[in-house]
Amino acid sequence: MLLTLDNICKSFGDTVAVNNLSLQVPEGVIYGIIGPNGAGKTTTIRMIMNITIPDAGRVLIDGQPATPDFRNRVGYLPEERGLYKKMAVTEVLVYMARLKGCSAQAAKSQVDPWLQRMGLFDYRSKKVEELSKGMQQKLQFISTILHDPDLVILDELFSGLDPLNIEIIKDILLELKRNGKTILFSTHVMEQAEKLCDHVCMISHGRKVIDGSMTEVKAQFGKNSVQIEIEGDGHFLRELSGVLHVTEFNNYLELELSEGVNSNQILKQVVERVAVRRFTQLEPSLYNIFIEMAQAERPESDTSGGGDSV
Amino acid sequence: MSKFLIVFKREYAQVVKKKSFVVGLILTPVLMLAFVLLPALLAHMKADGTERLAIIDQTERSVGNQFAESLNEYKLTDDEDTPYYSVEQVYTIDPGDSTRFRAVENSLREQINDKDLKYFLVLRQDADLVDSSIYIVTNSDNFRSLRRFERKLSDLMASVRLEMSDINLSVDSALTLTRSIDLVVRDTKGESMPFITKYFSALVFVMVLFGTILGYGQLVMRSVIEEKNSRIMEVMISSVSPFQLMMGKILGLGAATLTQVAVWFAMGAGLFLLRSSFDIDPSIDRIVFNPAIIVFFVLYLVSGYLLFSTLFALLGSIVTSDKEAQSLVAPITMLLILPVILGIAVVQEPNSLMARVLSLIPFTAPTMMMMRLVFVAPTLSEYSLFSGIVGEALLGFVLVVAAFAGMVWLTSKVFRIGILMYGKRPTLPEIIKWLKY
Repeated sequence: MLLTLDNICKSFGDTVAVNNLSLQVPEGVIYGIIGPNGAGKTTTIRMIMNITIPDAGRVLIDGQPATPDFRNRVGYLPEERGLYKKMAVTEVLVYMARLKGCSAQAAKSQVDPWLQRMGLFDYRSKKVEELSKGMQQKLQFISTILHDPDLVILDELFSGLDPLNIEIIKDILLELKRNGKTILFSTHVMEQAEKLCDHVCMISHGRKVIDGSMTEVKAQFGKNSVQIEIEGDGHFLRELSGVLHVTEFNNYLELELSEGVNSNQILKQVVERVAVRRFTQLEPSLYNIFIEMAQAERPESDTSGGGDSV
Repeated sequence: MSKFLIVFKREYAQVVKKKSFVVGLILTPVLMLAFVLLPALLAHMKADGTERLAIIDQTERSVGNQFAESLNEYKLTDDEDTPYYSVEQVYTIDPGDSTRFRAVENSLREQINDKDLKYFLVLRQDADLVDSSIYIVTNSDNFRSLRRFERKLSDLMASVRLEMSDINLSVDSALTLTRSIDLVVRDTKGESMPFITKYFSALVFVMVLFGTILGYGQLVMRSVIEEKNSRIMEVMISSVSPFQLMMGKILGLGAATLTQVAVWFAMGAGLFLLRSSFDIDPSIDRIVFNPAIIVFFVLYLVSGYLLFSTLFALLGSIVTSDKEAQSLVAPITMLLILPVILGIAVVQEPNSLMARVLSLIPFTAPTMMMMRLVFVAPTLSEYSLFSGIVGEALLGFVLVVAAFAGMVWLTSKVFRIGILMYGKRPTLPEIIKWLKY
């Protein structure tokens, strides 16, 4: 195991941010930590980075307590972004890479290809403060991976990025994974997590609620569901035998079927009544699992959530 | 390369590259010199007409008359015949007759106070042997005249010594005989330097020290606040240890300070070499080119900077904005500016208990000790490591360095937690709790 969290706990005053959390991140995977705001994602990541010291429990790298050398093998993108505003783009990238133990020469040779790939090459001698917010985000992403880290830790990776840049970054992450790097990221955007993760861990109120590979999780929460898009009134769907529950979306409906019901039987019945545009057998979405778990987790009395604790 | 050095180099480069650094580099010494020379220059600009002087001669070799004669070559203007100097009287007094000597000296002093005379020169019996037996009493800062007198007297005394000596002397002793003299200048109160020159010089040294320590110290604070506010801190801390970061900042900016001082010294050395071609007040020589003052200026600048910048790093780590920091900077400024506020008191009594205590407390020592040093302006013979002003200055320096070491300990404890606290300023009890981690 590259990274192991062993029963870590952290409280801030009376608020328990992380409660007995254990995780195992194998090498060479994309690992997602998901959870609602205030679930303890950032606190967990900060404890991995040794920025926050756990009240109890251990953080192990390759089974050993982390050494200062470990810092050089990690690329860390914190939730709160920021770079030296007065430094030039190239300068700041080289500086940050050198602080990770990269030689000046190695860092410099890496800067231009990355800037080109992220569309920032023309801005390479501009000051950071002259860049737009989105460009600064991309720049900071480059600085996170420029020193070729073995483990990339990204806190709220997708916040503040447009879809185009999300795609670029996703491609880079998949490429890193192919090269044997390990990626750990946190997000509350489930769609993205679902597309990227090999492993997923969901935490809520500082505790782990789901943990496993994406296929395991989906199997565990697998429900017999179909998505259907029809012309006309879909009211009758609720009355069909074998349909447990109907969720209406703007353009389509989702039907949850009883166990053992063949979706073909349902389709046959529907086709007799209305025109069907689309009919898909559904895997459970991480989004649904998330909503379901988060709601189940939330105690009746507590509606405020954990709050964004530092 | 160690991460400390990488941080160090960046902090250094960030400052040295700035235009304001170059401007300060050149402007500060120019202003400094202007302030020191200003009173003297003002005195020099006044076209006073012929300057009247008197001479008390106890040498029994009529050096006084020869000196009076030698002054005839100076005219007020080139084409007119108005003499620059008029020697009113040469009092030839028997070396044994101290009653008469004192009476004459007192009456001449009165005449200077009444502005009937501008100078009187005293040549004691052993003037050819001991430099301090030649002195001039004046309330004027006209250093051009003082330089001329010094030159003439050097020539005269050299020839007197040569006349008296063996004709077969060695080259070495001939050189000793022809050495130039340092003319001792006193005002009518017996002070060896004109008060205004001394006060201005002291003020200049203190202001430069104050400005540099405070200016660069605050740069350390701003640099910490910038990293805190722009949230770079988390990435930094995931790359370097808080201690490496803190020391990299303090010493990197400190190196910029040293660069500045080195350039000033190069300028000073140039001035020192060129000084014979200018008319510079010999009393300024005694301050600006006094080894003790120069050495302690550097020592106090460096140690003072280290102490205060560490304190500023601590402040930077616990505040959340520049604005909040400013309110905390004010009391620190007071510590350093104290000697200027107490200036007159220190001037009158540089060795008073208050002045001595304040010049040994680490936070007030750098500027206070500098003020006293300039006022006392020790001569080489007064240098002693264990007593006098030089000894005290050394002790003060050791205390500042010790305080710096303590400050580093304290700050490193607070820094590593403070820099990651956003949004709220920690309370004093919280900070005290951090010290125990």
